[in-house]
Amino acid sequence: MFDLFLFIGLPYVAIASLVVVSFIRYKFRAFSYSSLSTQFLEDRWLAWASLPWHLGIILILLGHLLAFGLPGVWSILVSIPTFLLVVEALGIFSALLCLVSLVILLIRRFVDAKLQAVTSYLDVVVLLILLFQVLTGLAAAIHHRWGAAWAPGALGPYIRSIFLLQPDASFVKDMPPFVKLHIASAWVLIMFFPFTRLVHALSVPLHYFVRSPQKVVWNSSRSQVRFEQKIQFDNEKRLFLKAAFGAGASVALLSLGVLDKFFRYFLKQDLTNAEESHILSQKLQRLKQSADERELELERMNKDSIFVAKLSELSRTRGKYFIDYQMRPALAFSDEQGLPILISAKCTHLGCTVGQELDAQGRILCPCHISYFDIKTGQPSPGSPAKLPLPHLGWALKDEQGNLLMAQDPEGRREGSIDPSQAGKSLLFIGKRFS
Amino acid sequence: MGKQKNKFLQMVDFLTERMPLHNLSFDHIVNEKEVPVHRMSWAYYMGGLTLLFFIIQLVTGVFLLFYYQPTVSDAHASVEYITFFVKSGFLIRNLHTWSSSCMILCLMVHMITSFAMKAFARPREITWISGSLLLIITFAFGFTGYLLPWHQIAVNATKVVLQSIEEAGHYLPGALAALPSYIKEIIQGEVSVGQATLSRFYALHVVILPLFFMGAIGLHLLGVQLHGMSPGVDTPPREKERFFPVFILKDFWLWGIVFLVVFVLSLCLPFESFYSYPLFEAYNALGSTPEGIKPEWYFYFVYYPLEILPFWVIMLGMTIAQAGIFFVPWIFKNTSRKVLSIIAWIIAAYLIIITLFGQLIYEVFKGSGK
Repeated sequence: MFDLFLFIGLPYVAIASLVVVSFIRYKFRAFSYSSLSTQFLEDRWLAWASLPWHLGIILILLGHLLAFGLPGVWSILVSIPTFLLVVEALGIFSALLCLVSLVILLIRRFVDAKLQAVTSYLDVVVLLILLFQVLTGLAAAIHHRWGAAWAPGALGPYIRSIFLLQPDASFVKDMPPFVKLHIASAWVLIMFFPFTRLVHALSVPLHYFVRSPQKVVWNSSRSQVRFEQKIQFDNEKRLFLKAAFGAGASVALLSLGVLDKFFRYFLKQDLTNAEESHILSQKLQRLKQSADERELELERMNKDSIFVAKLSELSRTRGKYFIDYQMRPALAFSDEQGLPILISAKCTHLGCTVGQELDAQGRILCPCHISYFDIKTGQPSPGSPAKLPLPHLGWALKDEQGNLLMAQDPEGRREGSIDPSQAGKSLLFIGKRFS
Repeated sequence: MGKQKNKFLQMVDFLTERMPLHNLSFDHIVNEKEVPVHRMSWAYYMGGLTLLFFIIQLVTGVFLLFYYQPTVSDAHASVEYITFFVKSGFLIRNLHTWSSSCMILCLMVHMITSFAMKAFARPREITWISGSLLLIITFAFGFTGYLLPWHQIAVNATKVVLQSIEEAGHYLPGALAALPSYIKEIIQGEVSVGQATLSRFYALHVVILPLFFMGAIGLHLLGVQLHGMSPGVDTPPREKERFFPVFILKDFWLWGIVFLVVFVLSLCLPFESFYSYPLFEAYNALGSTPEGIKPEWYFYFVYYPLEILPFWVIMLGMTIAQAGIFFVPWIFKNTSRKVLSIIAWIIAAYLIIITLFGQLIYEVFKGSGK
């Protein structure tokens, strides 16, 4: 029976009061549509309470409106876990903002002498109802988690039933006490609404977003200058508050997005077996490559001659890379007689490694700055950035038993000769004495 | 004796005017510091942005140290490991590359606008000099960091640069001719770019340069704090805003947006996607140099002239420019802001044109390569 009064009787009384009294008050006492600002009586506490209160309550009311006004859209949205999390977090954050500001507003009503002079009983009653409303809402949100997800489905039909004039309290009668209290006190609040300063909410002040901020102050010519300074200070304070709010929100978002990624950087990598073996084999291969290079270096320190290739392997158009005694790259070609041409591959311009392909004019190309070198003379072609010729290297040909057959020094002086039939089998070396 | 004392006192006076440490108080730095509002006010944000990018470099750089291995056999593999296997490793690495480029861009804009606004004028000479030092250190960061991934383009580009140092020897007289190749060997550490070079560049990049940078930036910021923002324009600005909280909040606001942009860029677009892949294979000492070896874009302003003009012209020009930067406060002591901004525009135009159209200009001068 009491439930029927709270959830069916009271709502209609409240709605009637809201509509009728608001209209009458607007019609006959239009100038009483005001929030009765007390800013000029006391503004230090107010600054810390009014702004957070309005921010918080607007967010919360918007949330309620969306959830109960567009239940279809809303239920799709809250099925996204991230969205639900954000909505709940924002809701609780806003409720805490409201709670703190209401407490401040109440305290200032009680401790400031000037304020007490203008405070009516209704002012205090409104604050208390609001406080009760915020507390029950917060308690419901915390005790019965994920209200954003369940409330529209569970309570939406009740609210619709009221407005469709087919009131049905069965949707709420088994609700937990916090929720029932929250709903009942909402109706009480709506009932009181038109009698109090809350009516200022009906004058939706959209133009506040575009006009410059106003401040209610005592007017006297003496204090004009002081107020100008104060206004500038207040502007900065406002900017600071807004920015601090923005910074707080962005830091929160950043921590979610950026720190999450940064943190994961230090976690152990979970690799599949295939990945792990790929990495390991690549590593081994590189180590082997370095080991090979070191070996080449050691070989060049200790040996008088170093094997380059079988003479038969050399091509006339595609050079074979090898490393000379100074650990610099060089190329081996063969000439028309089947004898080797050994030429440095380190460009005389800026030290890039020259390409191995011979072009139609018998030249190799350094790709860095487009220098062409004739491999027979070593000379760069005119107009190349390189001005000095690529030096030739001396070489020696030996048979399989290691007997010297023929040699040529870097200047092209030859000793010995080679039987063309044997040439294919002979081995090409570079010698320490030539370097 | 008396004369010497005068000299000494003169020097003390010089220093106290440039570094008025007695101004170092909470009131001066926090309560009274103001930023002039005029049409060049945006330039006041450039230094802060450079600082933001440096902070990003510092943080991501330390992160990379956790996985990077500075040896010729492991460097490339460890960078690939970071990119492909470490969680959000690609992000850290992309942030580091993107933010390095952004840092240099901001630094250049900062320097050019400071020049145009005559922010180097007495008593801010030391701020300008420390800033010039920071510029050179930052380029050194770019140069040494480029080698560390040990891929084809990195090693070959480094080779080319070091070789051009040696080249300078041909233009020096007598005993000095050997000096450049001596310097090159000190930098390189062995006959060609190898493990010794990598170790040196690594030490420079992660320890030595950061230390110098910290010192220089300490001096630079101290200068800014002691003297406040330079007025920047000839007519005293009608409006000023307080540094704290107004300007600093705007600064942070900009930082937030810029960070977001760089973060998203790094999530979506590896810096390397502007090059062809073979350049990013592990360096192969035995193969030919691949085509398309180039320094980073912020070296184009010396790279392309170097390709087009005779070597000695560039060397001379660079030496004069580098030395000249440090003497700007005295060279342009009596130059008006109007003339300074014309010079700044010319420099900016040169940098923009050569960086964007360098390749085109090169081809016009040299033919398309054949």
